[in-house]
Amino acid sequence: MTSWLVRILPAWSRVRLGSVPGARFVSQTPSPGATGSPAVSGLSPAGHNDAHGHVEVSLYEKNRDFHGFHKDPQVDVWNMKVAFFFGISVAIVIGGTFVHYLPDHGASIGPFVLTCMKSSGMRQWARREAERLIKEREAKGIAILDGNYYDPSKIILPSAGEEK
Amino acid sequence: MLKILIPTLMLFPTTWITTPKWLWTTMTAQALAIATASLTLLNWDSETGWTSTNPYLGTDPLSTPLLVLTCWLLPLMILASQNHISPEPINRQRTYITLLVSLQLFLIMAFGATEIILFYIMFETTLIPTLIIITRWGNQTERLNAGTYFLFYTLAGSLPLLVALLILQKEMGSLSMLIIQYMQPAPLCTWADKIWWAACLIAFLVKMPLYGVHLWLPKAHVEAPVAGSMVLAAVLLKLGGYGMMRMIIMLEPASKNLAYPFIILALWGIIMTGSICLRQTDLKSLIAYSSVSHMGLVVAGILIQTPWSFTGAIILMIAHGLASSALFCLANTNYERLHSRTLLLARGMQAILPLMAAWWFIANLANLALPPLPNLMGELIIITSMFNWSSWTIILTGTGTLITASYSLYMYLMTQRGPVTTLITAIEPSHTREHLLMALHLIPIIMLTLKPELMWGWCF
Repeated sequence: MTSWLVRILPAWSRVRLGSVPGARFVSQTPSPGATGSPAVSGLSPAGHNDAHGHVEVSLYEKNRDFHGFHKDPQVDVWNMKVAFFFGISVAIVIGGTFVHYLPDHGASIGPFVLTCMKSSGMRQWARREAERLIKEREAKGIAILDGNYYDPSKIILPSAGEEK
Repeated sequence: MLKILIPTLMLFPTTWITTPKWLWTTMTAQALAIATASLTLLNWDSETGWTSTNPYLGTDPLSTPLLVLTCWLLPLMILASQNHISPEPINRQRTYITLLVSLQLFLIMAFGATEIILFYIMFETTLIPTLIIITRWGNQTERLNAGTYFLFYTLAGSLPLLVALLILQKEMGSLSMLIIQYMQPAPLCTWADKIWWAACLIAFLVKMPLYGVHLWLPKAHVEAPVAGSMVLAAVLLKLGGYGMMRMIIMLEPASKNLAYPFIILALWGIIMTGSICLRQTDLKSLIAYSSVSHMGLVVAGILIQTPWSFTGAIILMIAHGLASSALFCLANTNYERLHSRTLLLARGMQAILPLMAAWWFIANLANLALPPLPNLMGELIIITSMFNWSSWTIILTGTGTLITASYSLYMYLMTQRGPVTTLITAIEPSHTREHLLMALHLIPIIMLTLKPELMWGWCF
């Protein structure tokens, strides 16, 4: 039980099993009999003084529902509400919905215009249209795609004997 | 663009006029509103590729993801700094926020610039607030050294860039990105031409950083306060990548042999910095070297100039920005409790803070490029295009992937698993603020998995 307390409510119990239970660091003087004095300097467990010589008091002492924003509980709660509302509800949910419903522009012709000639926009439409046409042509039993881009019967070529 | 710029400018009066009690609440709200507004930039409705244009600023599919990332990061920086800055006097807090906002402003103008000289000026201007943040609000004496390295490495690289840009302006008559993307690359005949080629890129290679000139990065990332580390890792490194992608399209294949040394350095750097990560004792230093490693892959991808490698580079830049920033926030949660970054001092944290361990887990999975997250997609696309460029690179990139997984696992196991350090006697519970911060980092990564076409750039 005490070890559970040590783990879960560290702000209340700065020493481990077997030492003085319930030792807190609310007063301005360091706790006596500090068995947990750090062997390594630079660590700041309970009892460490800050720049003004006062012992660091956890803000959870005064405010059990501390959210991490501000020491005034009312401002703390409001800051939490504002951060969650604008961060999650507005930015992620509404922003995400906006981005999801963006039109099918896709990337456009960029610096590789002279080399790659990539097409602009409507990529998702192109894929859907291709799938639809394949399904339609397979159902009709005709070839999906003809080898010739233009209809050969419509191409009029000059006869071999003509000269300019 | 103005709907992003004007609210960002108005963040300055907001910072100085708001009552002290409500300062951080107001800043968080306004910064998140700007971030939501920046999502409208994702509507690319032009045939030429450039949208939202006025004579000076415009966006295209390369700059838009980076712009959205920049705008998203400001509220996250504000959330992350709130706790460690709160003991300071109110005007010093306002100054700190002003520096973050001015950095944001310069970054928006840098990514939105259509004229390369404007981009260059903004690129340099971002150095100033970052330097002040590192040297004034860093926590150790090494911050002065870090600031010096950061400033002078970048400046030394960018002075040749200025000369190269002036030469380019004289030759081409214009430095507008809309125009130079169509110009024929000049053949590089003389030695001066080759030096010009290198001068165009060195500034960005230092910024990325490339392995040989990366020494500023671990110092700057470690000594900076959490907001400084976040913006450095997430956005400022990508400034280098963005600049390189803009410049390199006109430094075309004639530069094949010139690019080889840099490609090899980048690939070798992946392995070297990954191996250094495995030997780190400082948590933030580990994350910083991991950034160098990931950016090495991006540099190699950009230098080979194929459409797929460009796509992979952009995806990896965005995904790494979010994941790396998340890891720095997690390292800061440790630092605020223990005032130390030593890995050994914060072991077995899963037993004490299990919810934070869940975030550590997801952030480390993102870092080691777990599918289907975009981290993997970016890495895989770059690795594939590099394999196509030369089959031998698979040895280096494959080993790099293996080492990345190793050090990410190492970082997770060292901080979360194992016995709790006996020195830890009182750890403050995790704040709601810290959980929100992690959620706002990692939810976008997961959502980007579902719509990667936002990050594909103009080549896919």
